[in-house]
Amino acid sequence: MAAATVLSRLSLIPNLSSKPKLKSNRRTTVSVRAQQASFSDPFVLQLAESLEDSHSASSSSSATLPLQRIRESSAETLLSTPWPSRKDEPFRFTDTSFIRYSQIEPVSTHQRNSEILDNLSETQFPNAVIIDGFVSNLTIGPSDLPDGVYFGSFSGLPDELTNRVSEFIGNFDSGDLFWSINGMGAPDLTVIYVPAGCKVENPIYLRYFSGETGDRESKRLPVSNPRVFVLVEEGGEIGIVEEFVGKDEEGFYWTNPVLEVVVQKNAKVKHSYLQKESMASAHIKWTFVRQEAESEYELVEVSTGGRLGRHNLHVQQLGPDTFTELTTFHMCVNEQTLDLHSRIVLDHPRGTSQQLHKCIVAHSSGQAVFDGNVRVNKFAQQTNAGQLTRSLLLKPRATVNIKPNLQIIADDVKCSHGAAISDLEEDQLFYFQARGIDLETARRALISSFGSEVIEKFPNREIRDQARNLVKGLL
Amino acid sequence: MAGVNLQLRQAYSIAQFVPTLSSPPPPPTQRVRFGISPSRVIFCNLRANSAAAPTLRTTRRSETIAASSVSSSVDSNSLVEDRDDVSRIPLLEVRDLRAVITESRQEILKGVNLVVYEGEVHAVMGKNGSGKSTFSKVLVGHPDYEVTGGSIVFKGQNLLDMEPEERSLAGLFMSFQSPVEIPGVSNMDFLNMAFNARKRKLGQPELDPIQFYSHLVSKLEVVNMKTDFLNRNVNEGFSGGERKRNEILQLAVLGAELAILDEIDSGLDVDALQDVAKAVNGLLTPKNSVLMITHYQRLLDYIKPTLIHIMENGRIIKTGDNSLAKLLEKEGYKAISG
Repeated sequence: MAAATVLSRLSLIPNLSSKPKLKSNRRTTVSVRAQQASFSDPFVLQLAESLEDSHSASSSSSATLPLQRIRESSAETLLSTPWPSRKDEPFRFTDTSFIRYSQIEPVSTHQRNSEILDNLSETQFPNAVIIDGFVSNLTIGPSDLPDGVYFGSFSGLPDELTNRVSEFIGNFDSGDLFWSINGMGAPDLTVIYVPAGCKVENPIYLRYFSGETGDRESKRLPVSNPRVFVLVEEGGEIGIVEEFVGKDEEGFYWTNPVLEVVVQKNAKVKHSYLQKESMASAHIKWTFVRQEAESEYELVEVSTGGRLGRHNLHVQQLGPDTFTELTTFHMCVNEQTLDLHSRIVLDHPRGTSQQLHKCIVAHSSGQAVFDGNVRVNKFAQQTNAGQLTRSLLLKPRATVNIKPNLQIIADDVKCSHGAAISDLEEDQLFYFQARGIDLETARRALISSFGSEVIEKFPNREIRDQARNLVKGLL
Repeated sequence: MAGVNLQLRQAYSIAQFVPTLSSPPPPPTQRVRFGISPSRVIFCNLRANSAAAPTLRTTRRSETIAASSVSSSVDSNSLVEDRDDVSRIPLLEVRDLRAVITESRQEILKGVNLVVYEGEVHAVMGKNGSGKSTFSKVLVGHPDYEVTGGSIVFKGQNLLDMEPEERSLAGLFMSFQSPVEIPGVSNMDFLNMAFNARKRKLGQPELDPIQFYSHLVSKLEVVNMKTDFLNRNVNEGFSGGERKRNEILQLAVLGAELAILDEIDSGLDVDALQDVAKAVNGLLTPKNSVLMITHYQRLLDYIKPTLIHIMENGRIIKTGDNSLAKLLEKEGYKAISG
């Protein structure tokens, strides 16, 4: 069955290359393809081509230099990266075949959906709407952000900043196919820059929408690749809120976003991430964080959407005395897979990392996946690393695949990890009942309280309320 | 399964060297009748001296205080019989109650008999492991225990047919010995949920959080707690004293016709004990009743019981007035179980 489909894909390739407009700007791709053809996955190549075409089809505004660099290195990687199968360890429990066997189409960048903007609820924070990877609506006045802070497309970055920002862009060698797909397909690069010593009071609120949706019947799956880069210089502080929203419950699309964060010496970033895509969509996100000495990075995540939702999180320590806190909550109430693959790499002394991951699976075909890797390398002495994961399985056959893994090479460290998988506590349920509250209400209250340990970590009240209502609405 | 069960029971009956029971379990024929109709007719048989009853009914509390101070030679049987009166309604009737631990099938309650009338305060005392706490948990339907025999009738209804939440809504309240922590649910939300469940049951309008808050604040004074208590998660990080106060706060907010207080005095300092006792006394009316489970006489100094029951090995082996507790305090359980 699978083999047959692969073959049919293979046979598509000659047809494709016969399209006239493809010939223009495929210098790199074509030449390397000839050399490495035997290692390449024809499907991935075809996808890479269509991503590249989506740029040439758009307005002729030439891509900025760093974006070009990202595209080129991604194109190269894609040549030798096959589509992942369940035999690949990082995808052992995560089935991506529904994306693979859909008709993937990069979104046409001209489409701007103004009706989405009309439906937006007001927010008190400086915010931006990112539709299909483009910053479409910046509701940020000069007064909203302190002097020197930049927020917008890379192309609008003042000259004196371009070098400072671009030196960090595109240096990541632990990505996977989806990281490279984003690199190949990102239509724009949004930059948030906080200069040294600047403490930004209000968080910057990014709202991602997919402007274009396909449908399940024809299997047309539009993919968008938003990409945001954050640089916080020495002593700077900022909060970043990412919210991914599905326009309608059944929207069939694929969001493949990347967020890169560089937290320089003694700087602080509070990152809130709320994923509420449509239940038919795919959402595969990369967050890549680099932390210099004495910096702090805190992530709070609540994910509920997507037929497939995956968050790849990589935190790389670049100096001593860093602080990292990851608090995440995944809730599957549908036939869906929600996946967190996190990796914290500690290479310097006295780092602290605290991770709490919670998930609820409340559907018999629902699945939660967690692979939490913490590497405490040779020079990371006196590291204090804690990891805890708790899962609630509320339906028969609901599944959770948990793989906490700590790799410790340094010999003077304090590390802990724990994993618990259970149903609701009988004692707690009984306590409700003993006060006259029926079992159903008690269960609902306990389930939403399970998530609130994470939700209460959101630094902003508005996001907290939003997340709370989201969880309540799904129960 | 049944075989194991039988064996266990036999083992127990051997262990039960003929005890010096003050109230032997009723004969089998009677037991059947209890099961069918827990009616007043049966009590008529037991009733002897109804003349004293009216006094007891009206000035119950002051009289028990007097009784305890006067003499300790009151015959417990006559005391029990005195309470019987056709006109009085038993709130709770427990007949030959037997219960096992659901998981291990170990029998803990081996035939408990107890009748509580409206407006009475009962205390159940006994050694560790005598079955006191199990008894209170069985009354409220804790899933760890399974009732294997006997009957419980509360306000004329068969309690054993009811779910734990129905028992609560019917007017039964148990304060937990060690109430469980519920992270993520605030005290305020929890109380509001429970309060509204009651309102729904009564067909009365529910209160929204703001209305409920003002209702609550007055109740907080009862247990001498500050309002920030409401924002904390249920029992999370509470000290022993705070947990007990919280249980009483729930009782004050929800109300109950029969409040079962399971070791409400354990782990309390004198001040907290006084607060809690004061709160409980403040909640007593001629209509509602209290069943206290305690190890210590000192609680009974604050909340005066109508009757004291001594429990041993899954049965109530002696019933009397406050003098029983005094005896216990002085000479230990040896003095009673012999």
